[in-house]
Amino acid sequence: MSGCPFLGRKHQLFTSKPSQAEEEDESQKGINKATKGGIVYGEYLQLDKVLNAQVLQSQQKGDKIHDEHLFIVTHQAYELWFKQILWELDSVRDLFIKKHVRDERNMLKVVSRIHRITMIFKLLVEQFAVLETMTALDFFDFREYLSPASGFQSLQFRLLEAKIGVADHLRVPYNRRHYRDNFHGQESETLLSSEQEPTLLQLVEKWLERTPGLENDGFNFWGKLQANIEEGLKMEKHKLEKMEDSEVKEDLLAELNKQTEIFTALFDPKRHEHLLSKGELRLSYKALQGALMINFYREEPRFQVPFQLLTALMEIDTLMTKWRYNHVCMVHRMIGSKAGTGGSSGYHYLRSTVSDRYKVFVDLFNLTKFLVPRSWVPKLNPSIHKFP
Amino acid sequence: MSGCPFLGRKLFTSKPSQAEEEDESQKGINKATKGGIVYGEYLQLDKVLNAQVLQSQQKGDKIHDEHLFIVTHQAYELWFKQILWELDSVRDLFIKKHVRDERNMLKVVSRIHRITMIFKLLVEQFAVLETMTALDFFDFREYLSPASGFQSLQFRLLEAKIGVADHLRVPYNRRHYRDNFHGQESETLLSSEQEPTLLQLVEKWLERTPGLENDGFNFWGKLQANIEEGLKMEKHKLEKMEDSEVKEDLLAELNKQTEIFTALFDPKRHEHLLSKGELRLSYKALQGALMINFYREEPRFQVPFQLLTALMEIDTLMTKWRYNHVCMVHRMIGSKAGTGGSSGYHYLRSTVSDRYKVFVDLFNLTKFLVPRSWVPKLNPSIHKLLWSECCFLKYFTLTLSLFQCHYTFRM
Repeated sequence: MSGCPFLGRKHQLFTSKPSQAEEEDESQKGINKATKGGIVYGEYLQLDKVLNAQVLQSQQKGDKIHDEHLFIVTHQAYELWFKQILWELDSVRDLFIKKHVRDERNMLKVVSRIHRITMIFKLLVEQFAVLETMTALDFFDFREYLSPASGFQSLQFRLLEAKIGVADHLRVPYNRRHYRDNFHGQESETLLSSEQEPTLLQLVEKWLERTPGLENDGFNFWGKLQANIEEGLKMEKHKLEKMEDSEVKEDLLAELNKQTEIFTALFDPKRHEHLLSKGELRLSYKALQGALMINFYREEPRFQVPFQLLTALMEIDTLMTKWRYNHVCMVHRMIGSKAGTGGSSGYHYLRSTVSDRYKVFVDLFNLTKFLVPRSWVPKLNPSIHKFP
Repeated sequence: MSGCPFLGRKLFTSKPSQAEEEDESQKGINKATKGGIVYGEYLQLDKVLNAQVLQSQQKGDKIHDEHLFIVTHQAYELWFKQILWELDSVRDLFIKKHVRDERNMLKVVSRIHRITMIFKLLVEQFAVLETMTALDFFDFREYLSPASGFQSLQFRLLEAKIGVADHLRVPYNRRHYRDNFHGQESETLLSSEQEPTLLQLVEKWLERTPGLENDGFNFWGKLQANIEEGLKMEKHKLEKMEDSEVKEDLLAELNKQTEIFTALFDPKRHEHLLSKGELRLSYKALQGALMINFYREEPRFQVPFQLLTALMEIDTLMTKWRYNHVCMVHRMIGSKAGTGGSSGYHYLRSTVSDRYKVFVDLFNLTKFLVPRSWVPKLNPSIHKLLWSECCFLKYFTLTLSLFQCHYTFRM
């Protein structure tokens, strides 16, 4: 085979008999410990349970439809990850409940775990793309065998909502009316407890109220902020009034008035209480102050990780609503406007849950209304203001 | 509260308004109360959600992050099961000769594509486990031994059924992987290696590509003639150039190309490399693959071309999965040995290799790309491309006559 370009080269990589060099390669050394007793992979992960839990209803009814397997596995994967999210969530709630967060060394753990929850949610949003490889036509072939099973009966999803802090009175009517009826006995107990124990929202609220710097007889952040803002707005007004009359001047003055109204409302505790009772706000007045404090002073070493926590909490809300919306889009493609297997109106019902009603930390998002120029933020003097 | 900007708007009232209650989207009943299978039973959640037992907890030293470790692996295994479900159904279509009815090709391509979508998710999934620090892993790793991913049956089944060659496995892999499985599991693994692999089935299918028949279109003969002619003309052109370094380089390049094509049309050389394991597809299958590539826009070859692309995507994603795994393991345990007994990171690193690329020959087809003008012309009125035993003559004839009309019109 003269002229063969491969003759001279020894493709050590693809020989049916291993070469000497290969056998002596350090990376290939080792034993197989599994043969020596002790727990192996399949036992450790109880795969006998996990991998024997896929029973196609279409097959049970003598009409096996291939795609039902994907449908089942996808939902089981979602429920596995819901369990993991609950594991992280409960451990964080526990740190707050047991007052362990008063030792600030635990804040790293809190933020890491909330961040981990967001990473899982990101994956769960990506996961829809896999189920979307199923066509509406294929789904139609086995959907009849599923009734009345429906995601509406997912206990873990409700636990998740409850423990994060979704407010019962803010749930959309169909949701509020029926979601408890799905659970009986032990499951019903579990759901009830989850709604009676402190939610993440409540725990974070109490933590925010304890933010150093809010004390009236201490740094008095709120009093100072109010003074600075009033002064700042006054000076802005003088500057604008000095301008020559014009349409631009009118617009700027109107804008300034709007801003002034927003800040007047901000410093009105009675108004806050009113909106809180109506459910339009979720955090207490003091907690709101704490959140603003952490935002304005986020670069202080003491507030860096707390600031990360607030960001991660908003990320949870954002990802949950993206999850809901992705779910809605897929359902629309699969069943159009048909009713759901569980009895709801299907797509229309789900669409209604993609709403700020289900945003637990909505007040953190709305803090942007109160952003001010850096110079208006009360100055910190570390030698005087020690945050214990 | 005059001047309150919120006074007029009603979005969040604790008592539902009339409008809300009558909203069509909120109508409905709760069917779950009326009997029949509910969600938790349908998905056997009593099994799936009661399978998480922390070894660290069993040994009285509960480590929080072990739960993530367990759930991540269980999710991987669930998806492996799904991939095997799709893979077996495709192999079955080939084995039962159902792919000879070209209507089944859509199903084949959709399912192979679905496998790639699952793999994409599995590659993304590492990011979740990567939220665990090496420090936290260290706290419970001792309780796991000797459990190791090396003992994953489904992963081996996956490799075997796609077509990973036993003799190409790296030594530690080849030596030890069977020892992990006994009884039923061992039987299952053995069968998977004796039944036709995806590679073998695709090979046979490629060999049946219409157009390869010597007494028919004779793609290979025509291609060889065109390429020899084309190379000859290139050489003349270059030799006419003025002597220069550029000319030398171009001539050297042309020589290399010529050698590559000489090798391509040498069946004995192909057999030789096949027996050494350097090539995986038969000579005829390779011809089929080139045919599908060159004529991918023919309606008949469009979906087959998508299949070849999807098969390469599987290889690509599997190797990305292996590499992502390697990177994570390196961060978690550095150069320590694996719990299963391998050298750990170094062993895994060695499996990120073309040895494990099943459809490697499809990737290497790019060596044989030629200018479009060198590709033998198809004349549909003469060349009826019949996939052997095709039962869709009517469909094809219709397409053919449409093509003929177009062709005639253009003439």
